[in-house]
Amino acid sequence: MYPVWEGLYVHSAMYVAIIATFHVLASHLTVAAAWFNLYIERRAVRENREELYEYLKRSALGLMVFAYVFGAMAGVGIWQSTTAANPRGISTLIHNFVLYWGSEWYMFLIDVIGIIAYYYTLGRVSKQTHLRLAWLLALGGSGTLAIIVGILSFKLTPGAWLVNGLSLAGFFNPTFWPQVLMRFAFMFVITSGWSLIIATGLPRGFFEREKIIRYAGAIGLIGMVVGLGIWFLWYEPTLPAHARSIMSSRAIVPITYPLIITGAVAAVATLTFSYIKPHLQRRWIALTFMILLQAAIFGAERVREVIRKPDIISGYISSNQLLFADLPARGVVREEQRLKQTGMLGNLPFLPPIDQIDVANVNATEAQRQIAVGHVLVVQECGSCHNVSLQTQIRFLDQHLVLRSLADLLVLRQRITATDIDAYIKGIQGFPYMHEMVGTDAERAAMAAYLEDFIKQTYNNQPTVVGQR
Amino acid sequence: MDVQEMLEMMRDPLGAPFFPVVFQVLLVVTWVLHIHFVTGAIGSSTFSIFAFLHKDPSLLRLGRITARLTPNMVGLGIVTGIAPLLFVQTIYDPLWYASNTLAGFWSVTFIFVVMGGYSLAYLFYLKGSKDGRLLWSAVASLVLLCFAGWVMHVLHTVSIRPDQWMNWYAPGGVIDTRGIQFHAYDVPRLMFLLPLQAGLSFAATLMFVAWYLRQRTDADLAFLDWTASLGRRIGLIVAPLYGVFGLLWAFTEGPEFGLTAFIAAVAVGLSAGLFAFFWLQGKRPVLAGAKALGVWALALLVVAVTREVIRSVSLSRFNYSVATYPYIIDWGSVLMFGVTSVVGVSVVTYLIMVIYQSGQSADGTVSAKAEGFGRVATAMLGAWFGFFVLVGLFSSLFLR
Repeated sequence: MYPVWEGLYVHSAMYVAIIATFHVLASHLTVAAAWFNLYIERRAVRENREELYEYLKRSALGLMVFAYVFGAMAGVGIWQSTTAANPRGISTLIHNFVLYWGSEWYMFLIDVIGIIAYYYTLGRVSKQTHLRLAWLLALGGSGTLAIIVGILSFKLTPGAWLVNGLSLAGFFNPTFWPQVLMRFAFMFVITSGWSLIIATGLPRGFFEREKIIRYAGAIGLIGMVVGLGIWFLWYEPTLPAHARSIMSSRAIVPITYPLIITGAVAAVATLTFSYIKPHLQRRWIALTFMILLQAAIFGAERVREVIRKPDIISGYISSNQLLFADLPARGVVREEQRLKQTGMLGNLPFLPPIDQIDVANVNATEAQRQIAVGHVLVVQECGSCHNVSLQTQIRFLDQHLVLRSLADLLVLRQRITATDIDAYIKGIQGFPYMHEMVGTDAERAAMAAYLEDFIKQTYNNQPTVVGQR
Repeated sequence: MDVQEMLEMMRDPLGAPFFPVVFQVLLVVTWVLHIHFVTGAIGSSTFSIFAFLHKDPSLLRLGRITARLTPNMVGLGIVTGIAPLLFVQTIYDPLWYASNTLAGFWSVTFIFVVMGGYSLAYLFYLKGSKDGRLLWSAVASLVLLCFAGWVMHVLHTVSIRPDQWMNWYAPGGVIDTRGIQFHAYDVPRLMFLLPLQAGLSFAATLMFVAWYLRQRTDADLAFLDWTASLGRRIGLIVAPLYGVFGLLWAFTEGPEFGLTAFIAAVAVGLSAGLFAFFWLQGKRPVLAGAKALGVWALALLVVAVTREVIRSVSLSRFNYSVATYPYIIDWGSVLMFGVTSVVGVSVVTYLIMVIYQSGQSADGTVSAKAEGFGRVATAMLGAWFGFFVLVGLFSSLFLR
């Protein structure tokens, strides 16, 4: 339906993942840090403790420069990267939820104008006025979180929207409530890390240094326990069976769970240490903790994305950007059915008819032409999730860094000839995380021819040897 | 498959959740806010560099202020840019998605470029703007911000030429999935919209800031008079150039869409009008600060409408029109957006009042009236969560 941007060196999906991970860290941090700062500021006002404002000033400057603005930029970055990587996925979300996003935009405005007001008026306006700004930041941030979770969780569990097409049904979907509460709890773990970085930067002997470190440790631990409780007792049981089965499948890269567990263990250890021995806490420990936490978030967000496979919106649109389900309530007719009969080429924008592919190469043999046709189809049907050409590989010595390379997968399964690959594609829906291939038998044969060629390109014409290693 | 058929097929089958023309209006209005901050950032960044290169005491003093202004303007430019980004995708989805995939690499790189520009601007403000050290960071920041503007220009220019998309995507029948080509651009249009509008945004901002600060009891009136006069002079110099590049834009891009006379008339009208406005403020420019910002906002609105006319005319060649975009009235969306708009506008208004009033007085006083409004706005934001939970419970229980 749209031109495909495969990515350059790095696969397009990985650009999304990298930007999204940073955005998750920054955006969750802004919300929880706003609540933590509100707590500190309330104590400062009630107990008339001027020294706490020093912490608030440092924290606010860091948050303004790093979290709020970079968080907003990374948010725009997610737009740009998802648009380039999978435009129809984001289009479905936009055409359902644009006015919810518009609502979130107001909360963003409150966040960004609020933090500017908060930082630049600290010590200038009355304490009560400033405390009100702290309240607005905390509430505005929570508003952004509440709204975006509705849209994010819709992708995995659209719920009754698949029947009635109502945006409210999709927004307040089956995993909305547990996810919003779970994220709210876990973000206090992130903000504890932030508070530790700020507080350990305060001068030794500073009046409230150790107390703030203890607060941070306690609040982070509470967030961790509550978050894990919601995960095990509410969120995980609400997940569709399909998603749970994918969680334990090969679709999840093996390094993912160790990353998450390491982050969780580091969180418990660092926060407990902060609570018990605040005077021994150091900035390098806090920074290491934040780095491990970032890695864990990367793992967790990848799991959240992968358990939807093979769909972008579960039960509605697949990763190849084709609608595979009708939605009568909104007058939507599925596309896959028609394309299985007519074939893909010439029947979708940006998929030229077969006689217009590689037309400049007048000396091409029939086999070369078939590979060129197969390339167009493989890019369209598989390129969203897989590395399908050398363009999105980083090669270093004899290693290549790729995202689920089809060449690697086929070699691993000993399918390296066009005939074998053709049969393999024909039964691809046997995997729980794959849909049936869309197109005609001739198109499937062309895809197989291209993939055979791609394997040869990747393995320098020695796929069997590498496959047996 | 012809272009009309292609565009129809590319439209999202879900349609818009409200009258499409409303999204078009929102797109135009929010773009005005966005472009003011973006061009203001480029203007203030350029001025900081100029000031630190010239070492004149007044220029340096103002240069330090603009060095602080730049990153805040970038931040606000990003946040206000989210709204037009939402609305353009809703009614012009085929255009926006096609251009972003055709130039995918630059579309994704864009945000890293902006982050770099913002970080360097902040670095210069925090570490260099006292004594002019790290001027390279201000220069590098400006280069990156301008490059980000170039990327957005290319995305837009590509988007309004659907008849070229297939040639760009698969020249000679071979698909190019790298997304690294700058397929279309119009330099006069870019000059008109970016550097020249940066000059005018900056001129209006200078006059406004001078007008605003002169009401403080501790204000340095001579400096503020000088600042406003400088803003006026910049306006007088840039306004004619604005017209010249507007005409060049008319003669380069206009013929393609049959809009040469229209773009030329708008450019000349804006240029003459702005020049006349700045000229007429000769006696005490500092008193015209609020007016300057208002006039500039009006000029930007005219530019926003002009862009929209060009897009509409371009697409009308293929019978694509916002008026015929499919839609349903999705009451859930309307309810959520309507209520949040009332709350959001109230809270943002209060925040601006706090910034405005505390900055205007020497001791940071905020009026009792503003405080009263703040109490109401805060309560409204708290009540919004009650509304949200109630709607959520209703939806979870009754819309299954």
